[in-house]
Amino acid sequence: MRTTPSTSHSSRHDPIAGALAADRLNARAIIFFTMSAAAPLTVVAGLVPTAYAVTGSTVLPAAFLIMGVVLAAFSTGYVAMARHMPSAGALYTYISRGLGRPAGVGAAWVALIAYNCMQTGLYGAVGSALTPMLYRWFGISPPWWLIALAAWALVAVLGVMRVGVNSRVLAILLVAEVTAILVLDVTDLFHPAADMAVEMLSPAVALTSPGLGPSLMIAAVGFVGFESAATFSEESREPGRTVPRATYATVAIIAGLYALSAWAMAVAIGPGAIVETARRDGARTIFVLAAGHWSSLMVDIVQVLFVTGLVAAKVAFHGATARYAFALGRERLLPAAFGRTRPRSGAPLVGSIAQSVLGLAVIVTYAVAGLDPLVDLFYFVGTAGGFGVLLLIFVTSIAVIYYFARHAHGQDLRQRLIRLTPAAMAAGALATIMWLISSNFAALLGVPQDHWLVTFVPQLYVTVAALGVQYGVFLRWLQPNMYARIGMGAKAALPSTPLN
Amino acid sequence: MDWTPPATGGARGRTALLLADDLFFTMWDTTHAGLPYLHPSRATLGLAGALIGELVLRDRLTVEGEHLRVIDTRRVHENVADGALASIMASPRHTAVRTWLEYLAKNAVKNVTGRLIAARLLTREKPTLLGRERFRYTQFTKAMWPSTRLRLDLDERAPMTVQDMLLAALVDACDLMRVVIEDPADRPAAAAYLTALLKERMPQPLKDLVGGVRAVVGDSVLTYR
Repeated sequence: MRTTPSTSHSSRHDPIAGALAADRLNARAIIFFTMSAAAPLTVVAGLVPTAYAVTGSTVLPAAFLIMGVVLAAFSTGYVAMARHMPSAGALYTYISRGLGRPAGVGAAWVALIAYNCMQTGLYGAVGSALTPMLYRWFGISPPWWLIALAAWALVAVLGVMRVGVNSRVLAILLVAEVTAILVLDVTDLFHPAADMAVEMLSPAVALTSPGLGPSLMIAAVGFVGFESAATFSEESREPGRTVPRATYATVAIIAGLYALSAWAMAVAIGPGAIVETARRDGARTIFVLAAGHWSSLMVDIVQVLFVTGLVAAKVAFHGATARYAFALGRERLLPAAFGRTRPRSGAPLVGSIAQSVLGLAVIVTYAVAGLDPLVDLFYFVGTAGGFGVLLLIFVTSIAVIYYFARHAHGQDLRQRLIRLTPAAMAAGALATIMWLISSNFAALLGVPQDHWLVTFVPQLYVTVAALGVQYGVFLRWLQPNMYARIGMGAKAALPSTPLN
Repeated sequence: MDWTPPATGGARGRTALLLADDLFFTMWDTTHAGLPYLHPSRATLGLAGALIGELVLRDRLTVEGEHLRVIDTRRVHENVADGALASIMASPRHTAVRTWLEYLAKNAVKNVTGRLIAARLLTREKPTLLGRERFRYTQFTKAMWPSTRLRLDLDERAPMTVQDMLLAALVDACDLMRVVIEDPADRPAAAAYLTALLKERMPQPLKDLVGGVRAVVGDSVLTYR
């Protein structure tokens, strides 16, 4: 029996529910939280041109739309399952419940690597994005790694102090970022280089293109974060309605905004020239474009927003990954020290420090090796992380089907089939996408087929997942109490174990 | 660690204040900053756990798993505890410990400090324009005694009263044991003693309550925004 106050209807008659509902989130607040971490300007200015440059394909706008449809279908089952979760946590908690706890351990470890890849990759974006701006504004050109280290120090200190970026500030920044993106998109569309190239938005055209797999993978990176709306379940006013609404809206906004931006950029430059231009200008592509139509003040404002958005995303990602390690520490899937906090701030101390150490190691390694921050760090490492998250989404889509196949929740066969149809179609589509990506991994990374990275990334995830599953089986025999609490997050401390 | 926990008793624990009052003095730096040692959101959840604990210790409530149940409707003749009991009795459809922790946390600081101020054990400093509300002790020994008592009992592996075991468990659930046991070298032994003591001697309803507090405090870290 759950007695968590949830409905506004009941809160009118129930003082307890009414008092607690005041602190709870509505769909708009949840969309703001998930979208802020998604950092739209980082994706549009950083990821989109890099994707054009590396894949050499122009199907990216359609890929965003296809991915949006697939993830919306995936979300039907995902949000339905969230209602039945004792702890609506990260994706591995769904995998634990749907496919069993050993699979959940494997997923938890895969997620730890994937999210850490994505958060360390952002240091490359910070470094490479700020270098030209500092030159333009102050006439100085420090190496990218010095800027990355400054950002690293800021994030490390804020992480331990648990100073998040204030949610109102985040909301203002997000609105400003989205407004800037839309203004630039409209400007681009009013100044086409040749024709409007509407075929770039056509899924039918994209489906026959060899560049589809890599483009879908990059599109998926842009969506990372949409899955977190469900983790606000317990904090939302009406979990049964708020969370689905927030999830679908986030998917729709991301798909629409990024498809529009990727398309507009190509229209303004010309579909035939976008790849070459992106290879030449990198993360400066949209600013070079904007400079052609807008005053330098406007370009400066967008550049400032790009930097603030990147730093805010970095702080948010750092905090989210540290909290993820905290949850695993509480479940003892990481050493228990990860489940401790810094008293005064309540920051997940060990998780935060561990990430900072990892970030420092990565920045120093890349600096010493002389690697490119945008392509080798932001794109390669970030995409490797995105691949891990997509893998988790795919496995979660199967877990959702397994779960509802075994739990009727009072529905007859016909109702269950109706519920499961979009989820099953999403699982099939995600399987196809995973196959497309895996078979085009070299093209995705823009490296030769025999490059060590092509097999390393998938093998890393498979190995870690296998080790996780083995550890889960080991726990079942030797630590049944710990085993019973896998997938519970901080609720691992609760006396009962509602997972079955 | 191979040893048998001593029988409950606890000479020092007999001089305790009410549970939430003891927890307040353990959590708040009433000598210097006047602020809690831990994040306010978690301090209030810990105090709410202590308020429920007071009613369990007085046999008004029991905790079974994740739910609580009223077992005796008589007042305890203490305003804060009676207020909490009255609220719980007035809303029988809410039985989740989590719901009551979150609800009681809303006014926990106001209620507990009000009680301590009325007992002339605490004073409240008016908040400055941008500052936070600060609290100062009025009797140093009484303010220091709860954390000192816990430290001595845990260091010496002394017997503890049930109330002090619950106090120690709540401090640990709020991740605040490092404030009580200041020397890091002493913490592993103290933690081992407390774990064994709670396992052997703590009544099940209190174990369940502490589990609920630990979970909701942990969730407050995860859902930080």
